[in-house]
Amino acid sequence: MNIFLHELKSYRKSFIIWAISMAATAALFLLLYQAISSDIAAFTKVLESVPEALRNALGFLVGSLSTLPGFYSIIFTYLLLCGAIQAMNLGISIVSREVSAKTADFLLTKPVSRAIILNAKLMATLVSLVATNLIFLAVTVPVALSQDPGTNMQLFLMISATLFFVQLMFASLGILVAVVTRKIKSVVAVSLPTVFGFFIVGMLGSVIGDKAVRYLTPFKYFDPAYILANSAYEVSFVVTGAFLIVAAIAMSYLIYVRKDIHTV
Amino acid sequence: MNIFLREMKANLTSLFFWSLGMLFMIIGGMAKFATYVNSGQSITDLISQIPATLRAVLGFGDFDLTKASGFYGMLYLYLLLMTTIHAAMLGSNIIAKEERDKTTEFLMVKPMSRSRILTAKLAAGLANIALLNLVTMALSISIVGQYSTGEAITGDILILMAGMFILQVVFLFLGAGISAVSRDPKISASIATTVLLGAYLISVAVDMSSSLNALRYLTPFKYFEAAPLMATGGFDVISVMLSLGIIIVSGFATYYFYNRRDLCV
Repeated sequence: MNIFLHELKSYRKSFIIWAISMAATAALFLLLYQAISSDIAAFTKVLESVPEALRNALGFLVGSLSTLPGFYSIIFTYLLLCGAIQAMNLGISIVSREVSAKTADFLLTKPVSRAIILNAKLMATLVSLVATNLIFLAVTVPVALSQDPGTNMQLFLMISATLFFVQLMFASLGILVAVVTRKIKSVVAVSLPTVFGFFIVGMLGSVIGDKAVRYLTPFKYFDPAYILANSAYEVSFVVTGAFLIVAAIAMSYLIYVRKDIHTV
Repeated sequence: MNIFLREMKANLTSLFFWSLGMLFMIIGGMAKFATYVNSGQSITDLISQIPATLRAVLGFGDFDLTKASGFYGMLYLYLLLMTTIHAAMLGSNIIAKEERDKTTEFLMVKPMSRSRILTAKLAAGLANIALLNLVTMALSISIVGQYSTGEAITGDILILMAGMFILQVVFLFLGAGISAVSRDPKISASIATTVLLGAYLISVAVDMSSSLNALRYLTPFKYFEAAPLMATGGFDVISVMLSLGIIIVSGFATYYFYNRRDLCV
């Protein structure tokens, strides 16, 4: 419990800053909604003149843009990017900094098992991420309602919740990376290339509309078009995502209790 | 000279992996192009009718995606994002790592002024980003050339890479400046990348809404965009001046603050 509280306290400032800046970015993008909605109306006119088959292929994409959750789901890609960086930073640093700050011998000589230490750290990560998401929602929901009082809140919240799922995936990946490596000198040097790599794979994949690519990058596990149309997540991706998280955490425990941790 | 060689050696592995990353990006992106081009003309015709703001929201940009050059123009933004992340992290780490790894004392007792140390480190940083730029250029020319059916593309790639290099230098110096000012060596790379991420998000917002056009000079990502560079074949004067301004100011700040700061040992 002490470890948990200590970790939570030391990451408090960091997650509050992250949550507020992500919420501010979301608010900025949401405020653009009204400017864009007129463009959408104009394009819907163009669509009426093209063959029906083509209109169906592209029309849904544009039709969904004309509601606030539809627009939000597309700008949400960039918020997922920020959230993923935060989560991976947190996951890597919470485990690796005992070694990089040379406090590993201090912690490991305490009468608690390594599994309990990792437990406390995982819980602190989870609570930080939950708190981040709650702060984020506390800002974005009022802004969304002010832009469009008739916003479909169920869809809005379902899209917002994908931030939490994606963060969990990146946090567990970060913990696994930190457990596997002997010593990480710079957290961002590991997290940024990884997160941006996944992000770029996802962006290229979405322009092309390639299905298989979606399993490769956590950014594409939640397809906004599917959520908007069905008010549900795609089961196969949720299951894969949950499996990856559980597998990463389980492996982290197995490796961490046996790991040779270098002190001083 | 020793410091320069030492830094080159220390960053060699990382440079290798970044180059490998660029290779995968370009191969992967252009392989997508091959499948995309076969999917037919009609969809691209329709895409070309989407208003510019909507295209930005959907991620298509202003390119003719049926041509290798247009597709590469879209890919360029992501190549730019990768190389500038590399530059920002390199710039801040090359200075901050001495304090982070507690090697400052060792370096500072050498009979060398701090300015000379900085010059050697910045030269090594410049050499690294120049190498990454050359690797990207060579890979782009050879790989995109495979897909461009007779289309002259080398000139376009050269001008894009020149723009990329200016941005790399901008972010290298920004990172170095932040490290020279910041007292905490652990957070300087985070600050540098936060600045970069903020600049990227501003550029996305500017694409989406024409009312934000006034902000375009606030973000370096709008200085050298693929579409105008490929269309005109030259740089926008204001953008070049602004880039030079950022480089000079942050370069000056690097020397000024690093020479005066109480380094933590």
